[in-house]
Amino acid sequence: MRILRLLTLASGLALAATTAMSQTTVPGVPRNETIILENPEGTIKNPGWFNIWTINAGGQWTGLHQLALDTLWYIDPERGLEGAWQNSLAAEKPIYNEDFTEMTVKLRPGIYWSDGVEFTPDDLIYTVETQIKNRGMRWSALLALNVESVSSPEPWTVRFKLKRQNSRFHSLFTVRFNGIWMMPKHVFEKAADPQKFDFNPPVSLGAYKLHSYDPDGKWYVWQKRDDWQRTTLGRYGEPGPKYAAYIDPGPPDKRVIAQLNHNLDVVHDVAPEGMFTLSKQSPSLKTWFKNFPFAHPDPTLPSVIFNMQNPAFQNRDVRWALALLIDAKAVSMASYRGAATLSPIGIPPTGTHPDDYHIPLQDWLASYEIDTGKSKIKPYDPNIGNQIADMLRPTMKEQIPTDPAEIRKAFGYGWWKPNPQAAAELLEKAGYTKRGNAWYTPDGKLFSIKLMVEGDSRPILTRAGTMIVQQWRQFGIDAKTEVAQGTMLDRRNAGDFETLISWSVETYGGHPDLSYFLDSWHSQFVAAPGKTQSPRNWQRWSNPELDKIIEEVRRISFDDKRTVELGREYAKLIVREMPIIPLMAYNVFTAMDETYWTGYPTAEDPYANPVPNWGNSRSMMVRLKPKQQ
Amino acid sequence: MRAYLTYLSKRLVQFAVVVFVGINITYLVTHMTPIDPVEQSISAATSFGSTSPEAIEMMRQSLRQLYGLEGSPWEQYVSFWKRILVGDFGPSLSAFPTPVSQLILRALPWTVGLLLVSTLLTWFLGNLLGGLAGYYRNSRVLRAFGVISMALKPIPYYVVALVLLIIFGFLWPVLPISGGATMASDRSNTFAFALDVAVHSILPVLSLMAVGIGGWFMGMRSLVSNVVTEDYVIYAELAGVKRNRILGSYVIRNALGPQVTGLALQLGAIFNGAIITEYVFGYPGVGSLLISAVHAGDYSLVLGITTISIVAVSATVLLIDLLYPLIDPRVEAR
Repeated sequence: MRILRLLTLASGLALAATTAMSQTTVPGVPRNETIILENPEGTIKNPGWFNIWTINAGGQWTGLHQLALDTLWYIDPERGLEGAWQNSLAAEKPIYNEDFTEMTVKLRPGIYWSDGVEFTPDDLIYTVETQIKNRGMRWSALLALNVESVSSPEPWTVRFKLKRQNSRFHSLFTVRFNGIWMMPKHVFEKAADPQKFDFNPPVSLGAYKLHSYDPDGKWYVWQKRDDWQRTTLGRYGEPGPKYAAYIDPGPPDKRVIAQLNHNLDVVHDVAPEGMFTLSKQSPSLKTWFKNFPFAHPDPTLPSVIFNMQNPAFQNRDVRWALALLIDAKAVSMASYRGAATLSPIGIPPTGTHPDDYHIPLQDWLASYEIDTGKSKIKPYDPNIGNQIADMLRPTMKEQIPTDPAEIRKAFGYGWWKPNPQAAAELLEKAGYTKRGNAWYTPDGKLFSIKLMVEGDSRPILTRAGTMIVQQWRQFGIDAKTEVAQGTMLDRRNAGDFETLISWSVETYGGHPDLSYFLDSWHSQFVAAPGKTQSPRNWQRWSNPELDKIIEEVRRISFDDKRTVELGREYAKLIVREMPIIPLMAYNVFTAMDETYWTGYPTAEDPYANPVPNWGNSRSMMVRLKPKQQ
Repeated sequence: MRAYLTYLSKRLVQFAVVVFVGINITYLVTHMTPIDPVEQSISAATSFGSTSPEAIEMMRQSLRQLYGLEGSPWEQYVSFWKRILVGDFGPSLSAFPTPVSQLILRALPWTVGLLLVSTLLTWFLGNLLGGLAGYYRNSRVLRAFGVISMALKPIPYYVVALVLLIIFGFLWPVLPISGGATMASDRSNTFAFALDVAVHSILPVLSLMAVGIGGWFMGMRSLVSNVVTEDYVIYAELAGVKRNRILGSYVIRNALGPQVTGLALQLGAIFNGAIITEYVFGYPGVGSLLISAVHAGDYSLVLGITTISIVAVSATVLLIDLLYPLIDPRVEAR
């Protein structure tokens, strides 16, 4: 009994002794000078590796590509600090010759690496030539395919001679999420093999330099450079936080706990339920949308992707029938608990895209007609957003916006009305028959569909897929979900699926040009059945009309007004052909805590993308101000 | 002695066969997985960036060369065994070109530290309290402990871990909930760092003990309940030997044999890591490393970790088998 008493006493003492030690901060660094952000890469296996030019050798979103590296241009998926386009190391926009076989870059002088060496054209040339020479490096293939030669014909000017016409060559050096980062020539040229060099400690070109990192890969702390004015971010003012810590806070529940304890200023993403908890319990919470749906819509478009090489989905009427069986309201509730921003067209409803595409196409969408064989229907419903808002109002009350413009921004500009009658007519038109409660294919087999979902690692899209399968089953289709878990990427790339919930559309968000994903949809890149498909045409769709659009995009410049017209033609083609059923933006529930910092980007002040693993999230630093002086 | 040597040589051959078969099964399983490390690497490198299908194809070829995946399956298998026999697991495919051994050596001390402490503590307390409960059957405190430990045992581990997280991380935030040590702690100050590590390990250790102690407790209580009915215990009690002495010298000692075997097996399994514990508490150990390797299709790393685990478990079993005849004369070496 004495032993028991001793044990109880010892554990009580141990617990009491730890009370003062439970706060997660950097020793010696004042908490109110530090912003703590989530790194969704988690624990870095190889924490001392900073050579980002090798393929996945170490962490990338540890603050390294956000705060320490730089390249020629940035495009913000939102409005940006001074417009979505940002000349960074380049002093002006790319200059192409007439046939897009040469690109000239005027570089910005007066930018310095953190070791005091000036950034010069030599660094850019070295970056390009080193990667072409070493074929196992991250951007080797892209550069080797495109660059004939690179030189500096005059001071602060670099000229690329291209192997072939490429009007979007600059996009390789333009950060949407990332880009080809500049290598410090004076550091790398001393390394015996640039592919085996760890670049530790990294020499920084950004406004922050490495302060310290966890040898076990859990956290990285970056410190504002004394000479931050000599970086490209310097012209926007002094970055607020003196220190920025990128940490692995663990699973979603712990992220919520950490933010409620004010130990994590920016959560990259949590489940919708986690965000609802934070909105109820954290008075210092700041989110992209002030109220529901809170999340930042990424310029990425989760969709139902048909494997177009599968004979079952080669009939447009069948694809449309399946789309008309989807009740987007139910999918929104099942996936994002209502916090989804829907899109009926193949372009995400985020950034400047609604102004360029969704709003101008409203009339066309409203008048769009489908001939089911027995009747003509207008499938578009511009009021779905309102209906979702009405559904949510009883539970979320004043958190649901009432202004129609805000509702459209939050919940999307409409989607297709569920119409089982029209779906049945379309299937009959395609030769399908219904016997009893089940549908049969034209050759008399049970109409079966497998919808592949990722499973636990992507719960929101898995829930969306499960709901869609339920809706198809209710109609009499033998639909099933297939949970791919870790094999998702391999099966998607191999075309080993019938339908799949994922995305093949990713855009700049802040710029109307769609070539970022659209170029890879050209039929020249579609793999034969059984062969590996390269990104991003996972639907393996070939279409001559689409090819024409892409070929015209290739012939015109990035900023040509015709890109918007061509983008709209693409959007209409997707509606007509439905090779994917676009669902909604990929909403990221980034939660920001105002206990220590204010000035986060929001939908009201969209000066940057708040999602902290994006390269362009660096813009946030110059607008953040300390709350506690 | 001769019998023992024969037994020893037989067991050594068995050990070698078990290790060889185990490693081969792991090799087969990892190489038959549909997760392709090259596709995973390409996807991670390109999923957010500007890319072109032609460039991806070039990248695919470069990575196959770089990762050494170009030879025939037989050539790869032979080269694997050549490397394993000299203790080289090759480079990690998800952190190329860093050697697998370097990644494992970095994670192993955390896992061994955490699991060694929790396994020994759980074993010691579970057996001690189980022994006391079996002997002092009328003690209310021990009966209550028995009820609590039995109630905790069937609860899924992650539920217990999450409850502890919520209690000590949020409702009464007195303990660190993530990581192995405080951010940027000074590792050169050995004592302070050790204390910091100890504090960070309280919740993971508590969670492992909470679900693990019941098994040892109940096992020991049952064993002691049988031993106390033995003639020599009754004789000792009638002879007036002090109860504490009877408990320590005659009861627990005689009941301890099976528990020692169990402990040895658990110690061997330490090298597997505690996957859920490390995930929930963000502990930088082998379990976390293994999970990330599986997700990335990094079979070099998976093979490295599982090979160490297979050797460790087999070696512990071998050791126990070899020591048992020496410890307990009732067990003969045949």
